[in-house]
Amino acid sequence: MLMVDSVQTMRKIAKRLLEEKSVNLIIGYERGTLPFRTTPCFISDVKEVDRLIWDVTCENNLAKYLKDRGEKIGILAKGCDARSIVACIVENQIKRENVFIIGLPCSGVIDRKKVESELNGKEILEATISDDEIILKGEGYNKRLPVKGFLDDSCVSCKHRNPPLYDVIVGEKVLEEMGDDEFISTSKIEDKSIDERWEYFTNELSKCIRCYACRNVCPLCYCEECFVDQNMPTWLDKTDNISDIMVYHIVRVFHTAGRCVDCGACSRACPLGIDLRSITQKMVKLVKELYDFETGLMLEEVPPLATFKQDDPQEFMK
Amino acid sequence: METGNKVTSKINYNEQWQPKIVAFLCNWCSYAGADLAGVSRIQYPPNIRVIRVPCSGRVNPMFIIKALQRGADGVLVSGCHPGDCHYISGNLIARRKFALLKNFLEYIGLEPGRVNFSWVSAAEGEKFAKVVTDVIEQVKTLGPIKKLKKERKC
Amino acid sequence: MKGRIFDKAQLSEFIDDLIKKRKVYAPINKDGLTCFSEIKSSSEIYFDFQSKLSSKEILFPRCETLFTYKRVDGDVKLEEMKVKDEEIVLFGVPPCEARGFILIDKAFSSGEFQDVYYLRRRENTIIIGKSCQYPRNTCFCTSVGGSPFGREGVDLLLHDLGEKYLLEIVSKKGEKLIDYIQKYENAAETDIKMVQRIEKVAKESMKTRLELKNIEEKLDNMFEDPLWKIIYQKCVGCGVCTYLCPTCYCFDMFDEQVTSSEGKRIRIWDSCQFPLFTLQGSGENPRPTGKERMRQRMMHKFNYYPKNYDDIACVGCGRCIRECPVNLDIREVLNKIMTQ
Repeated sequence: MLMVDSVQTMRKIAKRLLEEKSVNLIIGYERGTLPFRTTPCFISDVKEVDRLIWDVTCENNLAKYLKDRGEKIGILAKGCDARSIVACIVENQIKRENVFIIGLPCSGVIDRKKVESELNGKEILEATISDDEIILKGEGYNKRLPVKGFLDDSCVSCKHRNPPLYDVIVGEKVLEEMGDDEFISTSKIEDKSIDERWEYFTNELSKCIRCYACRNVCPLCYCEECFVDQNMPTWLDKTDNISDIMVYHIVRVFHTAGRCVDCGACSRACPLGIDLRSITQKMVKLVKELYDFETGLMLEEVPPLATFKQDDPQEFMK
Repeated sequence: METGNKVTSKINYNEQWQPKIVAFLCNWCSYAGADLAGVSRIQYPPNIRVIRVPCSGRVNPMFIIKALQRGADGVLVSGCHPGDCHYISGNLIARRKFALLKNFLEYIGLEPGRVNFSWVSAAEGEKFAKVVTDVIEQVKTLGPIKKLKKERKC
Repeated sequence: MKGRIFDKAQLSEFIDDLIKKRKVYAPINKDGLTCFSEIKSSSEIYFDFQSKLSSKEILFPRCETLFTYKRVDGDVKLEEMKVKDEEIVLFGVPPCEARGFILIDKAFSSGEFQDVYYLRRRENTIIIGKSCQYPRNTCFCTSVGGSPFGREGVDLLLHDLGEKYLLEIVSKKGEKLIDYIQKYENAAETDIKMVQRIEKVAKESMKTRLELKNIEEKLDNMFEDPLWKIIYQKCVGCGVCTYLCPTCYCFDMFDEQVTSSEGKRIRIWDSCQFPLFTLQGSGENPRPTGKERMRQRMMHKFNYYPKNYDDIACVGCGRCIRECPVNLDIREVLNKIMTQ
């Protein structure tokens, strides 16, 4: 089903939900203020459902906005977003009965940074977006780019394009393309030697300005007081020392062990373009390899760090 | 090489740098095992600093990372054998945390051998001495910690 | 207008000369990330539309040690970190960021407490700006009292005339810097006219024009307005907008323990958008949700700061618009405020 047809269906669903008062609020995507961006929108008035859109620039993980809402919410969720919602329900942060998931089978979102790089940083003045192609116009250029060539890395290797949990689905499910190496973001780094890896990560992460955009866009980073803000005892200092920066990222990724769905929101949010997925995806891979667990696929799942098996791998133990 | 109650090591104590290993030992098994090693007069290198915890499951991965950041050249976490945990399953949950942490830190580029885990029971005084000696020798060959350590100067 | 003319080679020579005697900071490109950094040669300079990280961090570092303390004989000795007495040149600063420094100056030098760390550096700094010929859609400097060719805050202003550059003298400090250099020609009348022409074109090409004339008064009556409840919803509470903003100056302080008897007090950037920004020792937080924090951001920039310093605390650079992970656009918020 073409995304543009999905939009009509989606709006009809939203309209019905609001009219019947099945939900108080719809969280979805609307056109952003820049030619190539969409932005989260919150609609409670049935007259505004036409603001909702759906295309390859819908990059935000909307599950972030579900916590701490007492009312019943309708939310538009791509495959990865729906997995985040499942993970939050499993962790008792959201009540299943309070969320109405409007599932969006997704073939991937665009990585804006790849596009900016292709344009050499030139400003985008006009963008026409379709399922297969984006046409970008600016000062002195007019480019047609294939969507497939500029997908976000998390989408290229995605194995859960259809929401595993939904109350209604918009259009037909898409093919779960197996694609290439699911964990390609980590494979290319695993091939390096141990010192090369350290050098790569310290180099990449030294750009970090501790803005915490990565933490804040993650639906699973919902602690009222994050470990970075704790004192008595202070876990780590907030300086720009590379050791502090590394510890922040290592611990944050460790805290998402068994909870991260590899949606890529953290990587996309980073203003400095740090490839965060090179570390987050490793944790996803470890959890899969060691405990055969993928987050967010079933409401009955038990988080891997909240349980154990008698024969869990232990060759590393002395 | 083992001769009776003595485990000899290849460490030369006249060398300048001595590794510092922080050892988190669970109260009911490993700490008791370390105590038994002492009572039995089993010799092992003195490079460990012991922190007693009620259970290996108490060890927050942030303890290990912070120890490394503060300059520990190596970390050892030791608990009861699976099935013998005083709190039934603390060590089994911990095993998963440790597996993920060890693999992840090695992926980041920290030398394997700096972060170590073991099961040592209250009766295994000799095993405790052997584990500690192995860890210290391993860390000796790796040298003082540079990665993750925060250089603190005024 | 007074100035000197340089061709490309001469400009490089001029900068390399400056590097010999002073610390020169200019925009560079480090693996795709543009920011201001110390340069050792003019070849390192990378001129892009706008650096990702603003030049603010040179004079107001992201992390700096204020003083060290040591316990000595039962007493505590404090040693202040003195800002080095060296001349700094900030080269290639766009007019919006230069204006940002003026705004930070006002906040850091008002009243009884002067921020000596920032002010000392500021005193020792000469700012060579670079005029902005091609403002983007996200720029709105002219709506907040600035201009793409603004001279506020710069000592010298560099204009790119195609095959040559005109370095305009703006302040006495700037004049002193190039006064002794006789080898570069004085700008001719034709050159000056060209600058005036491109300045006019740049100003007219400004696409975003916001009507903000009475925003301070408007906001006076909007503290309890229901508008804030709608605006803040998509904000995730990160610090991207504040960290990248050339005018944001909030900071936090904490002590880092070095040994059991010595430590240092460190200052780092903080953000009013962080949830714990206003958390008090009692546990009370007067800005508990994003609504209060978003309101604070807008009120501070467009009402409180103007009340205190007669200026809007926003220079219209547009970084917050481009880098916000959820595309929360300050222009949209301002329009909503003005039409409320």
